[in-house]
This record gives sequence, structure tokens and C-alpha cells, in this order.
Amino acid sequence: MRNRSATLGAGLLALSLSACGGVPGTTSDNGSENGGEEESRTLVFAQSADPTTMDPQDARSTSAERVNRNIYSRLFRRDAEMELVEDLVIDYEQVDEQTWRFTITDEAVFHNGDPLTAADVEFSINRVITDDTLLEYVEFNQITSVEAIGDYEIELTTDGPMPTLINVLSKGGADIMPSEYIEENGIEGFIASPIGSGPYEFVEWRQDDRVVLTANEDYWGGEPQWDEVELRAIPENSTRVSELLTGGVDIAADVPPNDWDRIDDEDGSHMVFGDTTRVMLLIVRMTDGYITADPEIREAIDLAIDQGTITETLFEGNATPVRSRVPVGSFGANEELYDDFLYDPERAAELVAAADETPEVTLTASRGNYPFDGEVAEMIASYLEEVGFEVNLDIREGGSYSDMYSERNNEELFLIGLADGMLDASSPMVHYTPETAEGMTDYFSEEVIDLLNQAGRTLDEEERAQLYAEAQEIVAEDRPHIPLYVQPGAFGVSDGVDFTPRLDDNLYFDDILPND
Amino acid sequence: MGTYIAGRLAQMIPTLLLIITIVFLLVYIVGDPVSLMLGEHATPEQVATMREAMGLNDPLLVQYFNYLGSVLTGDFGDSYRYNQAALPLVLDRIPATLTLAIGAILLALVIAIPLGVWAATRRGGVVDSAVSSLSVLAKAMPNFWLGIMLILLFAVVLQWLPVSGSGSWAHLVLPVVALGTGTAAEITRLVRSSMVEILSQDYIRTARGKGLRQRVVVYKHALLNAFVPVTSITILQFSTLLGGALITEVVFSWPGLGQLLVNAVSMRDMAVVQAAVFVIAVMVLALSLISDLLFKAVDRRISLG
Repeated sequence: MRNRSATLGAGLLALSLSACGGVPGTTSDNGSENGGEEESRTLVFAQSADPTTMDPQDARSTSAERVNRNIYSRLFRRDAEMELVEDLVIDYEQVDEQTWRFTITDEAVFHNGDPLTAADVEFSINRVITDDTLLEYVEFNQITSVEAIGDYEIELTTDGPMPTLINVLSKGGADIMPSEYIEENGIEGFIASPIGSGPYEFVEWRQDDRVVLTANEDYWGGEPQWDEVELRAIPENSTRVSELLTGGVDIAADVPPNDWDRIDDEDGSHMVFGDTTRVMLLIVRMTDGYITADPEIREAIDLAIDQGTITETLFEGNATPVRSRVPVGSFGANEELYDDFLYDPERAAELVAAADETPEVTLTASRGNYPFDGEVAEMIASYLEEVGFEVNLDIREGGSYSDMYSERNNEELFLIGLADGMLDASSPMVHYTPETAEGMTDYFSEEVIDLLNQAGRTLDEEERAQLYAEAQEIVAEDRPHIPLYVQPGAFGVSDGVDFTPRLDDNLYFDDILPND
Repeated sequence: MGTYIAGRLAQMIPTLLLIITIVFLLVYIVGDPVSLMLGEHATPEQVATMREAMGLNDPLLVQYFNYLGSVLTGDFGDSYRYNQAALPLVLDRIPATLTLAIGAILLALVIAIPLGVWAATRRGGVVDSAVSSLSVLAKAMPNFWLGIMLILLFAVVLQWLPVSGSGSWAHLVLPVVALGTGTAAEITRLVRSSMVEILSQDYIRTARGKGLRQRVVVYKHALLNAFVPVTSITILQFSTLLGGALITEVVFSWPGLGQLLVNAVSMRDMAVVQAAVFVIAVMVLALSLISDLLFKAVDRRISLG
């Protein structure tokens, strides 16, 4: 019986191994081993989540963007300094307020050898502006039509002046897909085996494990840096860090603060930090009947919080205090509100003392949605209590926390991190329009609305930036949000590679260089 | 035998129906995934439109019967995260999870049977005490903690094995040890206690009185009889291992059913949660049936039905 059981078990095990794609003896996942050989350079990047789809127009996650940035080309892209630069486009002009013409390079080819033409641009942009089930649709629905007017010329029209058009055309939804290949294989076939015209070709996606890419030897933009790239999904923080320390990966993203010193202390690895577009802030309920409708109470809350101590102690100085929800690096950010906070507990205590009765506020936060969010909430609660507030600290699990936000059931204070995927003030400032503020902050400022409306219409970039900067100053005084700090991007990096994080958290593998 | 199996299969139907209903109600209580699907910039109008489109505004009973009707045709809905049908997504992950579970069971048996027998034949001695203490220790260690400790020791410090991932036999070692250790402890204790009981019975004394060698008495006469409870607990442990694999897979980044389910729960990808729980329930019920059939194969005195 024992022999029979063992044979059965071994058989099942072998069957299962073969079924899950196991190839005994391979060590292809070891980046450093391969990375050290000049003939075959492999970059292994570990992130906390797996992409959910290979459809570039239906993936609004950082984990998917990091793959797609390298498989596809697009009309424009952002360089490492977040400047918008031409990618496929070699020339463009604005014909009138609503019409734009673009000429693209005739050198770009897809990974299957098909040339990339205006027909592919028309196909790709047309898909994202007409299919409202795609996640990227909301960014593109101001574009009303796209037409190939030559082999390499395209005309776009918008539903009005669209100052953010070039910005939008640099996003994942504008990744150019091969129209003929999709017509032959269907969109499902394309998603199963995607083809782009970027520096890296798709090899395989083992879900919840890794995406493997290989260098596109015929890349129209030059020779790729790496022969092979793997993006591994390792959700457990300690495992991701251990992989870095053992040379299993070259770069580990989303390193939790308690592992920073461990990585820096280890030979062969170091921490690299950069700003992100995510600003941690308090949403303040200004609705009539809430104590936080009183501007002096909101000011007292702002003055009571020591953002400097929060960023220095919890984040070891790697987070930057801010007074605006628009991160520096985004178009229209007010730089005077960056690296600034107003901590003044004496003045805060005076304002609280002037209130008719002890002000009571509920502070809602999550624990684990953002680095140290629970700890930050606890520190804020103690700062507020020090100046005389009575604080109900309401720490919720992720689902209940998200529901409270989406259903707008927030109480006086709600701690959250809000990102700016557009890298343009038009996106974060939308929170201060009545439509978006209703039921959440209930903020209403005619002055701000007027400035935002003007900014939304003007195509003069300097004027637009100035209008947004003015609006941010008013919001900083009114305090519908009390911004705290910019959440840092924290990466553990092997000494074998040279890596600088980008503000938009994207990856262009050719910007990551081997340290030979 | 055929009638018995058909009867047991029929009994599974109400059990599965109950499980489907409970999971549906739990999902209903936990809330819908719309806020997570649409992200932080969603407007209330977008949330409302999506809820309507997904039928989440229908009364509970309407939602339940719609869901039940779909499930009966094998349609658990689509995963909103993967934009794929949930059931095939779940079924694709079963081989990876079975690999871990079977590996863990084999490891547990290889450790537990000799250790249990060794301890039983030296009852009350140092070996017995050491085995008992180790069993308690192994059983008390949580899977995820043991997994992290194994990674630190064998992958980070000694660098003998890879930290995580899949694709080779080396990748299988640490997760199998993390998952199988508790089961090994459980089976060791069972083998020991069964053997202690059997070794004190009259027929064993008779065998010894006939002058049979100790090895023949222990392994042929005693151990064979100890297999009935050992088989039972091994099959039951297999069900437990499927649960343990959830956390082990996350720690070792093993792309199985567990990691899929944990991610689905955290992202409220309820179609995947429902399909995964259903598939696990079917597997557990099937294992229970196999356990009973194996009883019969091991011990002819047991009657089925």
C-alpha cells in the first residue's frame, strides 16, 4: 500500500509540475547571474502586483504600465524629467482650436515586421475614444475623431480647446497597436500575444508570477540596453526584499520603510528614493453642521500638525511636506507650496480655545493602504489632542475604508493618498470644482471655479500654469484638503544597476543602466 | 460500490448549494467592488452607473437567483481585474496548488512514518520525548512565519535555494517544507499513538512469542494496521493543506489558487472568490469520498453505505 501511495503521489506531482510549466533545473529567474554575463544581460524587476491585462487601453495600473511602456510606441512620451517629447511623431501642428495634425516616422515597425503607419494610429486612437468599456476611455473622450490623412499623417479633432491633448497622447491608452494583426487574430488573440513597436518584445506572461520580455533587435529607436527583462510579481514585502538581497532581482519596488536600513546595510544593494505624484492629505468636510465648516477650526487643524516630524521620523526624511495637492513635476504645480508646512501649535491652541466648546472631530484612516498610514493617523490624532481637540480615531480595513470614500460618507477628516496620473494640474484640481466636491468636502469657491474654468480654456501654457498656481494658493488658505506630504517611491536596487525612479512611477528599461 | 459512490455524489449537491449560498451572502454583506474597480477619481454618477450595469442595485433575491442560474451553467461571471471568465482562471491555477499540496503530503509521510514508528517503539524514552516535543513545536509554527524563516535561512543566509517563484524543483523545496511541516507533525503524532496502541495488543505479543523478528512485527503486523487512521488523517490533512497553501503561495510568490484567491479577496474580485471557493469545496468533498473509498481498500472490514 505504501509503495502504491508513493507511486501515485509521485505521478501526480510530476503531472502537476509539468502542467504548471515547471522546467526542473532552470535558473533563468536569477537576474544577477545572467546580468553579470556580458553576452546576455537580463534585468529583473520585482513589483508588488501583477499586471491584470496585456491590453494597454484597458490597464490603468502601474504594474501594467511598466510593461506596456516598453512594448509599445506612442505619439508622445515623457522623458525622465517629465517633459513631453515626441516619440513616433516627427512633426505636428495645431490647425485650429479643435484640430491637430501629426506626422509620424516612417521607420517604425511592429515586432512581427509590419510597418507602423497612420492606419494603426487611427485604429488605436479610434478604439479608445469609442469603446467606453475601456478603462482609458475617460482620459480620451474629449477627442471626437481621428483620421489617417496619408500613410504617415493623422488628423485629430477635439470637442473644444484641449490643452491636455499632447499629455493625453503620451498615456497608455494611446499606445499604438497593430491594426492588421488584430484584424487577423482578434483582440483576444492580440491580448494573449501582444505585439507593439517598442524596444522590447513580449515573450510570455505567467500570471501572478512574471512577464518576460526580450530585446527587439529591429527597434526603430536604437539598440535596447537589455537582452531580456523580467517583471516579477512578488506581493509579500519580505520575500521581495529577500530576492533583492540574494541577487534574485535587480530592483525591488515598494520597499516598506522597515526594510530600508536592512537593504542599505547589505553589501551589494542600496535604497533609492524619489517623489511620486501621490500626495497624502486630509479631506476636510466643510458641509454645514460639521465643526470643520468653521475656517478657524480648519486652520487650527493645519497648524497643529507637524509634517516635518512626520516625514523625518517615519520616513527618515524621504517624504516631502507640501501644502498643495498638485505635486511638483506636474504641469501647473505651485512650487512655493512644496517643501513647506505651517506647524504652529500655540496659534492652533488659541484658535481651539476661542471655540464655544471643545471641538470634536472624527479622523478616518486605513492601515496598510499606504506606507505608515495608520501611524500617521495616530500622530495626527495626538497633535490635534495636544492643542485641545477631542479626536475619534477611526482606523478601518481596506474595503470599508474604500466604501466610505466612494460613497462620500466621510466625517470631518479622512486621511488618503491621491495621485496625479495626468501630471497636469487640471486633474488634481478637479477636486475643487462643485461637481466633485459635492458630498465630500462641499467646498465652493467662485474664485477658484473661475480660475479653473479659465485654465481649462486657454492654450497658452504660461497663462494656464499661472492660473493653476493662483487657484492652489486660494485652496491652501481655504483648506478643503490639508495636504501633508508627498509619498516617496522607495526602491531597493542592486549595486549592479544604475536606476533613478521617475515621478510618474513608470519604467523605461533603457533608462536603467548596468554598472559594469 | 457503484450505488454508494452515486449516493455520495448526490449528497454533494445540497452541500455545494449551501456553500454557494453562504459565499454569495458573504460577498453581498462585504460589499461590492465598484469603488475599487473605478479608483479614487470616480464620480458618484460613475459608481451608480457601474452598479446598475452590474445588477448590484437589484433586490437580494433577484441577484441570488440570477447568480444561481449562471452558476448552474458553469458561469461564475468575469473577473473584473483580469477581464476573463472566473472559472477557467481558477482551474488554470489548480495544478500549481496541487503540486505544492502533494509535495507537502509526500514530505510529511516520508518524515512522519519513520519518526512515529521510532517514537512508538521507544515509548517513554528520550527519542519518544524528543519526537513529541518536535511535533508540538512544528505544529505550533504558523505557515507564513515558518516560510519567512526558511527564506531567511536557506535562501538569504546560506543561499542554497531560490527565495521565491516557480519553474524548477529547487523552487518547490521551501514552500513544500513550509506547508508540509505542520502536517508531518500531525501525522507523526498519529502514527506514534496508533502504533503504541497496536503494539500493546495480544496478537502482537503472539507474533513476538512465535519468535518473529522485531522489524517484521513492527512493520508487517503493526504498521499495516496503523494505516487506517493514518490514511484518514492524511486525506483530511490534504484538505487542510489547500487552506494552508493560500498563505504559503503568497509568501513564496507561487502562482497557484491561493495567491489568486488572496488577491481576489483583497481586491473584492468576487467572481474569482466565488469560483475559487466553489472549486475548493468540490475538491474537499471529492477528497472526503476518496478517503472513504481508501478506508475500504486498506481495511476490508469496513463496510460502505
